[in-house]
Amino acid sequence: MAQVQTQTRAQAVARTSEGRKKRPFAWFNIIVYIFLAIFTISALGPLIFSFLSSFKTFHDVLAIPPTLFPQTWTWDNYVKITSDSAFLRWILNAFIYAVGAMILNTLFSAMAGYALSRLQFPGKETIFLLTLAVMMIPLTVTLIPKFLVMNSLHLVNTYFALLIPAMAQPFSVFLMVQFMKGLPKELEESAFIDGASRWRTFYQIILPLVRPALVAVAIVTFQGAWNDFLWPLVVLGTRDMYTLPLGLYFFKSAHYTEYNLLIAGSMFNTIPIIILFFIFQRYFIEGATGSAVKG
Amino acid sequence: MATQPVTPSVASAPPITAEGRRRLGRGLGGGSKGRPGETLAAYLFLLPYLTVLGVFIVFVSLYGIGLSLFKVDIGFSVPQFIGTHNYEVIFNQLSDFANSDFWTSMINIIKFVVVIVTVQTILALVLAVLLQNSILKNRSTLRGMFRTIFYIPSLTSSVAVSLIFLWFYNPNGLFNYLLSLVHIPGPQWLQDPNFALPAIMILNIWTTSAAFMIYFMAALQDIPKELVEAAEVDGANRFQSFWNVTVPLLRPSIFLVVALGTIGGFQMFDQVFFMTQPLGGPLNSTLTPMVEIYNVAFSDNHFGLAAAMSVILFVVIFIVTIIQRRFIDPSTSQ
Repeated sequence: MAQVQTQTRAQAVARTSEGRKKRPFAWFNIIVYIFLAIFTISALGPLIFSFLSSFKTFHDVLAIPPTLFPQTWTWDNYVKITSDSAFLRWILNAFIYAVGAMILNTLFSAMAGYALSRLQFPGKETIFLLTLAVMMIPLTVTLIPKFLVMNSLHLVNTYFALLIPAMAQPFSVFLMVQFMKGLPKELEESAFIDGASRWRTFYQIILPLVRPALVAVAIVTFQGAWNDFLWPLVVLGTRDMYTLPLGLYFFKSAHYTEYNLLIAGSMFNTIPIIILFFIFQRYFIEGATGSAVKG
Repeated sequence: MATQPVTPSVASAPPITAEGRRRLGRGLGGGSKGRPGETLAAYLFLLPYLTVLGVFIVFVSLYGIGLSLFKVDIGFSVPQFIGTHNYEVIFNQLSDFANSDFWTSMINIIKFVVVIVTVQTILALVLAVLLQNSILKNRSTLRGMFRTIFYIPSLTSSVAVSLIFLWFYNPNGLFNYLLSLVHIPGPQWLQDPNFALPAIMILNIWTTSAAFMIYFMAALQDIPKELVEAAEVDGANRFQSFWNVTVPLLRPSIFLVVALGTIGGFQMFDQVFFMTQPLGGPLNSTLTPMVEIYNVAFSDNHFGLAAAMSVILFVVIFIVTIIQRRFIDPSTSQ
């Protein structure tokens, strides 16, 4: 027993000292390949199939057996959707919400993060702890009172109702604090000796150094607002104010079984995010998990 | 006039450094006292955030709890304090469980959360281990490619996915076609009370597993290789070292993934809103608490009752999360 163990030990040492020695191709690897293949198909399949089907005719989209590629390629679904001025308005509204929330939240959470990570003032600890605590409050508690507040401020059915609650989010502030507290103190001190104001120090020295965090927060905020359904549903009242996800709901009710149109409509919601993802992949993942994992 | 801008700058050149040094000294030694004006500056920087935090998070949460003690309808009468009446109404329905929309929705969501959290946590872990510790271990390009592929479902919005799956789930749709290939008669999915909730579970697992995979990948990267190697040197096989070394070290991440999945799962709304007809149907089989709260508030105009339901839902989520923490990651609970 002991001998066997020393032997394996010796082998293992030999293996590590040799560097990575190739293991013989094992049944284990075959399983791994099979799993990778299954997961790849199930991850990409539905989206690719839907994308291709958005070019199908109504008849084609319900064909049995279904075909991956359209029998006849058609732009009709997209033409029909984009000729609907309401639909274009919903895209515009979603864009206003997403870009507005993105700009405001990135700026304001960076400002808050700067104060909480690099300035000394009474109340700092309290505000930071409060930020951590409120991240755990689920939407369920705030949804209805938030609506009533908006209602009594007469902001229901305006862009303000969408943008104000989204303009400085605790999670983003937390992310900014995590990034900014790691920067060396000397940076600001030298700026301070040179007589730079705090705003200039923040704007010209700190912000460029935390660009990855800014991009991550910007992307996560954009994605959150672009896809948001519940809050616009609660707070928007008229058709011309709907954002795209909300519009898609009413679009769905109007074209209940016209799956070709529904799929093409859903592409307007999905494709912008996928394009953003391929441009800023790294930041997506950092923004979604960075702070939580780094702690 | 012309000399004025020049003179001060020349004259004050040395004092700037002296002043700077003094400011620096105070900055270093000042500690919590801070530099002059620092408190004011800090609060100016914090102003927008504090407004949102104060009004739309802290105040609104307290307001929600207060609201649950009132009878509130918009446009009809003045809010009226009714104490714990709303809660009594909800808890009295417990005696007639099956006919209570709220408690039916609670049972539905508990089933939903148990299934999706279990499956998506395991799936996320399997995906992460596949990418991090398998044949892809030393091939970072290939690993990056698979990570991207696996991550794509989590980019889709609940709205878009609901529309797409609505089509997959139609009785003559893709899922039933695939089932017919292996000679299984497909159910009516969203029209069948037994299959509507599972159908939404599948969709949810598809979208969220990959997002959680990323958490596990990051955690796996932080596990010292020596530990796993040591276990293997001591004769543990791949599964033993995974189960006895890796999994215990992942406890904090497992808790995080389970807790985030639970909190999100309990608040499921969009998918039901999009995919079921009538809302929460058939036969209330997909009714969730958020949908019920939405109905009670915005269709029935009982904002106080809806607020009480929100508070109960919050308490349930909170207790479940604490229990999960006790069981999954006891080291941090003390």
